[in-house]
Amino acid sequence: MNKSILIVDDEEDVRAIAKLGLEMGAGWNVLTANSGQEGLSIAASYQPDVILLDMMMPNMDGRATLQQLKANPATQGIPVILVTAKVQQSERENFTGLFTGLNVAAVFAKPFRPLKLAKEISEALGWI
Amino acid sequence: MSSQPISPQKANILVIDDTPENLNLLSAMLTEQGYKVRSVTKGSTALRGAQASPPDLILLDINMPQMNGYEVCQNLKADFRTQEIPVIFISALEDVLDKVKAFEVGGVDYITKPFQVEEVLARIENHLAIRNLQKQLQAQNTQLQQEIRDRQQAEEKFAKAFRSSPNPIAIATLAEGRFIDVNPSFLSMSGYSLEEVIGQTTAEISLWTDTEAIAYILQQLKETGALHNQEFEVCTKSGDVKTILLSVERIDLAGVQCALFIANDITERKRLENEFISLVSHELRTPLTSLMGALDILGAGQLGTLTEGGQKVLSIAITNTERLIRLVNDILDLERMKSGKINMQKNKCNAADLLAQATEAMQAMADLAQVKLQTKPFAIELWADPDRILQTLTNLLSNAIKFSEPGKTVWLSAELKNGEPQEHRTSFADTENVSQKLSSPSSQPPATLLIAVKDQGRGIPGDKLQIIFERFQQVDASDSRHKGGTGLGLAICRNIIEQHDGKIWAESTLGQGSTFYICLPITHVVSG
Repeated sequence: MNKSILIVDDEEDVRAIAKLGLEMGAGWNVLTANSGQEGLSIAASYQPDVILLDMMMPNMDGRATLQQLKANPATQGIPVILVTAKVQQSERENFTGLFTGLNVAAVFAKPFRPLKLAKEISEALGWI
Repeated sequence: MSSQPISPQKANILVIDDTPENLNLLSAMLTEQGYKVRSVTKGSTALRGAQASPPDLILLDINMPQMNGYEVCQNLKADFRTQEIPVIFISALEDVLDKVKAFEVGGVDYITKPFQVEEVLARIENHLAIRNLQKQLQAQNTQLQQEIRDRQQAEEKFAKAFRSSPNPIAIATLAEGRFIDVNPSFLSMSGYSLEEVIGQTTAEISLWTDTEAIAYILQQLKETGALHNQEFEVCTKSGDVKTILLSVERIDLAGVQCALFIANDITERKRLENEFISLVSHELRTPLTSLMGALDILGAGQLGTLTEGGQKVLSIAITNTERLIRLVNDILDLERMKSGKINMQKNKCNAADLLAQATEAMQAMADLAQVKLQTKPFAIELWADPDRILQTLTNLLSNAIKFSEPGKTVWLSAELKNGEPQEHRTSFADTENVSQKLSSPSSQPPATLLIAVKDQGRGIPGDKLQIIFERFQQVDASDSRHKGGTGLGLAICRNIIEQHDGKIWAESTLGQGSTFYICLPITHVVSG
């Protein structure tokens, strides 16, 4: 099951590691964007199966990017997983509450383990 | 005009009579008594003399050429230098009208000639005494007025301090927390007008976000008389929530016991603190993500295999990175708990489930350490945050296992203590103050759940039993190196248990082992 995923994060190393982990760990096809803006255009053009979206980015932050994704019919239907450094794993549910109406598929906490990412995403989205 | 009392013997008397014989007679008579006497024959001279050097008393003839006695008296009374000197008329005129006129122009007495010496002396003494009293009275008045001015100035000083203080200040009754007075800073912070506040209780204007706050404050005041620098959240008229640092003192205002509230609006500071914590979280956890990820990927072997030595080194890197992540988590956790940012998400959960989950989570670690884990669960419903209670239990178990030698046992148990569970109703908004609202007070003491984690480790010295619950305190300084652990675990546990209105403590015998106890109140939940 070769899924395609778009990783939106302003940190180059985080993108690189996550990409390696998903490619090596699960053979997924990984696209990356270094900003909310870039993420919006790549998502619209390539229609990935899932978007991994970092919350804290300069200029256009995660929340604003999420709102735009959901506002655009071309990208509305793509499941979005938020990634945040603000909470620990055990508090993820509370965090989701802040985004009612914006159809967030899941919230992952940083740091994540890249080799486990594919499995965790699949579980969160009900692919396995 | 001297304000000194006149001693009768030293009094200074001015005698005015156009007849030199009369003058001499009076002068001699007075001098003999010890008075100091000046005598003049003309009214005009007398006036000049009196203005220049005011006597204590004046004896005044009426029938005089040029200026008569009445005119002299009028002039004396018209000049501020001489107007207060008592004037006694001495005259041969006997008519009532003459006497009346004498008093009209301001004389204090009238003696007819021929006179009796004793009578004149007595009247002079009398009027000097009266004059003394007048002077005393004037001095006292002046003093009183000064005192009043001083008081008003002091009052003004404090009133100004109260009115212009940048800190919101309020005075309320101790009995009910009913507002007596508040300053403009209070009104501007709370958004209310003076009329809306005075006479109301703090609860009536929904000031506190936690309705128990005022009861707690007034209780503290009654017990200790003061409350210093505690954080509270207050609600403005428009519904905004502000954080204040509050100090309260008990004061007595005209017999009424009152509370003096002085607040410091720290909303902005808290906001910055929270932003800082968020920023720090992000700045620490982002490189940790890359670091941990990079090490994991190297460890997976798909970028080339490492030699045995290389794998060992990698393993060290991974272990320590994991340790760093735990430390960052613990620090941020504790920081956020202390600033009230983490609320316990309490729901119905079962103690037996929690104990089972904790055991399951720690089984692998116990097996690795060759420590036996024995659990005695107890099925009872609990109103608690299951994730946080689990965090506490795993923390305690982890410590117990770490400090146990291979072959030893760690026991985890739970039992019910005391009376019947209290009945409680949930309201739709109520997640925090659950255990405080009892719909029907029970005559029994409230039931509590006692959880114990017992080990056979080396034990904890008596003087450390309290301090281990403080941040970064470990029994032995070498513990953090050899046993791992962040030194924050017990501090976090205590914070969690306290937020459940429970207690956590340790008992220990050196060389034999320790038992960590958690006591949680049980409330039997009735949804309503």
